[in-house]
Amino acid sequence: MKKVLWIASLLLLPLTITMNVQAAGGYSIEMESADNNLRDQESLKRGAVLFSNYCMACHSLKYMRYNRIARDLGWTDEEVISDMAYGLNIVTENVMTRMEEGVARAVLGSDAPDLSLMARLKGDDYIYTFLRSYHQDDQGEWDNKVLKGTAMPNVLEGIERHATPEEYAEAARDITNFLAYAGEPSKLQRLDLGWKVIAFLLVLLLLLYLLKREYWRDIKH
Amino acid sequence: MSTEDQKSTDVNLTRRKVLTGASGVVGAIGAGFMAVPFVGSWMPSERAKAAGAPVNADISKLQPGQMLTISWRGKPVWVVRRTPEMLKILAENITELRDPDSNESDQPSYAKNTFRSINEEFLVVVGICTHLGCAPLYRPAVGSPDMQEGWQGGFFCPCHGSRFDLAGRVAKSVPAPINLEIPPYNFISNSVVRVGEDPAEGGVA
Amino acid sequence: MSNQTNESSSEKSSLLGWFDERYPVSSTWNKHVGEYYAPKNFNFWYFFGSLALIVLVNQIVTGIWLTMSYQPSNAEAFNSVEYIMRDVEWGWLLRYLHTTGASAFFIVIYLHMMRALLYGSYKKPRELVWVIGMLLFLVLMAEAFMGYLLPWGQMSFWGAQVIISLFGAIPIIGPDLALWIRGDFVISEVTLNRFFALHVIALPLVLVILVFMHLVALHHVGSNNPDGVEIKELKDNKGIPLDGIRFHPYYSVKDAMGSVFFFILFALVLFYAPEGGGYFIEAPNFEPANPLKTPDHIVPVWYFTPFYAILRAVPDKFLGVVAMGAAVVILFALPWLDRCKVKSIRYRGNSYKVLLTILVISFFVLGFLGTQPSTPLYTKLAQIFTALYFMFFLVLPFTSANEKTKPVPERVT
Repeated sequence: MKKVLWIASLLLLPLTITMNVQAAGGYSIEMESADNNLRDQESLKRGAVLFSNYCMACHSLKYMRYNRIARDLGWTDEEVISDMAYGLNIVTENVMTRMEEGVARAVLGSDAPDLSLMARLKGDDYIYTFLRSYHQDDQGEWDNKVLKGTAMPNVLEGIERHATPEEYAEAARDITNFLAYAGEPSKLQRLDLGWKVIAFLLVLLLLLYLLKREYWRDIKH
Repeated sequence: MSTEDQKSTDVNLTRRKVLTGASGVVGAIGAGFMAVPFVGSWMPSERAKAAGAPVNADISKLQPGQMLTISWRGKPVWVVRRTPEMLKILAENITELRDPDSNESDQPSYAKNTFRSINEEFLVVVGICTHLGCAPLYRPAVGSPDMQEGWQGGFFCPCHGSRFDLAGRVAKSVPAPINLEIPPYNFISNSVVRVGEDPAEGGVA
Repeated sequence: MSNQTNESSSEKSSLLGWFDERYPVSSTWNKHVGEYYAPKNFNFWYFFGSLALIVLVNQIVTGIWLTMSYQPSNAEAFNSVEYIMRDVEWGWLLRYLHTTGASAFFIVIYLHMMRALLYGSYKKPRELVWVIGMLLFLVLMAEAFMGYLLPWGQMSFWGAQVIISLFGAIPIIGPDLALWIRGDFVISEVTLNRFFALHVIALPLVLVILVFMHLVALHHVGSNNPDGVEIKELKDNKGIPLDGIRFHPYYSVKDAMGSVFFFILFALVLFYAPEGGGYFIEAPNFEPANPLKTPDHIVPVWYFTPFYAILRAVPDKFLGVVAMGAAVVILFALPWLDRCKVKSIRYRGNSYKVLLTILVISFFVLGFLGTQPSTPLYTKLAQIFTALYFMFFLVLPFTSANEKTKPVPERVT
């Protein structure tokens, strides 16, 4: 019986390898690690501002509300509206793009997808690598190694040109971090609750184990 | 003999009671914790709270004697700019009121006064009759021709004849039991009233 | 307490007595819990029945709460799930409880079925317990399949598209059958609405009724045990099985302990890996359903992958469907395919141990293959392991009739 379990466990090994590939969407391109930290509120704030300056022209974040972002990132309601929304929104509203419907398709050839869940769909590393994978061909046409033929322009071109490589990396990381947060705003709450629940259950388990052992003394074996 | 060895020494029984009790208590606490997400999820969602968020009313163009209506949480809210004459009548005409001190009615603490407002000049009131929920009519003029004799200005509910003065205070012997509700509100500035938010949270008291 | 005997109804507290005169409260309690004698040698494999019940309750309760905020329409289904995740207080936890519970359900059920294979729990007189259990398995698979459509993501849509089109492969009636199931020419809001109704109320009702019957059938004949010894054959002078112990308090306490250990494992996944490495919540499902764009890689959820691998192993579309169906349905016949008189693997011949090992390995390998794209190598492997899977059932009638069994003890060990 034990042999069956051992062999079965060994066969599960390949699964663990495919797990990460599956989660990242199975990409054969090597991804740079985003190395972002969801607990770094300053990074998230920078990312939110970068998002509003470089992404919100085309992309919405329709499942996020400004007041939630304020609460989670450490801004007041007034600060989030002034820093992220140019004072143009009410704090309970969802984060919508400034662009009108249909314009992206008409001008660039493709709709700009909503980014609320992009980090969960493709993974943090994908977003970070994508932002940094633009390159120009001999004719000066831009393309992206991660998403060939993308209609999206190289939004961080200005930063890459005028800032240091570290600053450029940080900008991409901060945007990635913010999008990772936007993908699952309750993630930190989940992580922080988890160990408390498990600690409680361990206490309960100990008590029930002692109770079980106590009752089972009755049973002659 | 059956398998169960039924020792009944005191030590065993006590230990069992203690362990059972301890497990029971911790288990009950666990059950209490488990109920939190289920009960908590019934609280208004962010979407409901957004829809019920405070609403701003621009009163910069409101003339004396004029009323404007805004919607807050699905309810009509009136802002009336009262004249000095109206205020004089409100201060004097108390005898015909059911609850002149607003003891029974619904208003924030800062509206529990004669004029039921922060600033005497402006009345902010929920436009729903406290009888059965109709929308009363605004009849500010003293001696309005279509109103009864001795009408001193106020609100008249056409459904069952309830009458309220220009502070929303209900008259005696009408079907409505209490004064009109005053919502939380505050003045963000001289020209903007924010309905749905108390002054302590920001704005001029 | 363990040393109390049960009082007759005239001595009971009057409230309980009042009920007992009008409803079989005490007698039901005694028959199924307080004086239900179960074998004293239950081991690890015997936790999974009670765990399955707990997970079922979890799915029903969290499911009800999700239904309060979920909207089964083309326009709002995907949005409403994100609404639950972000705007509803504690919504994210309710959602993860439901998704983790769904995967936990299948882990528990597969282990529960494994117990039956190890100890011959499907053999006479428990064939009906097994058959009802197999019906439960079928209904559970349908329930999970329909539930997975509801988030209306890319994988929801396309997974359902693929599986329902399989029905279309059935000769003659196929296309009409697929049309009837969908209620439309492609998977649409019509399909979503009816799957919602079936998932939320119809199939759960069937599950609850079948679980009730499953327990009644079990209690009617009494539980099996790891030694495969029928404890009712040796009773004391009071009619109590010598190797039996009362379910309450012994197994109620043991199952409570086991449940809490299970909760800890559950919590580890729930709080630290709810996506299950991309297997419990699949990444492509974070994109709304798009009938015009097919994902690169359509895979059913992990618990269906062994059967999916069998489906793809067979080159012919219809025969693949038959093979996949047969892989599940053949399990119904197990009580009659297995002709060994000895129940438990502990006393059975080597042929059974070998066959069962091959079956389990095949199930795991097929499960892995089901997650992968069908390359020529993987297809060949799937064919081999499909053959090995069916071999268990086809060879067993012959080997089981002639097993070199060990003597079965009279008393449990």
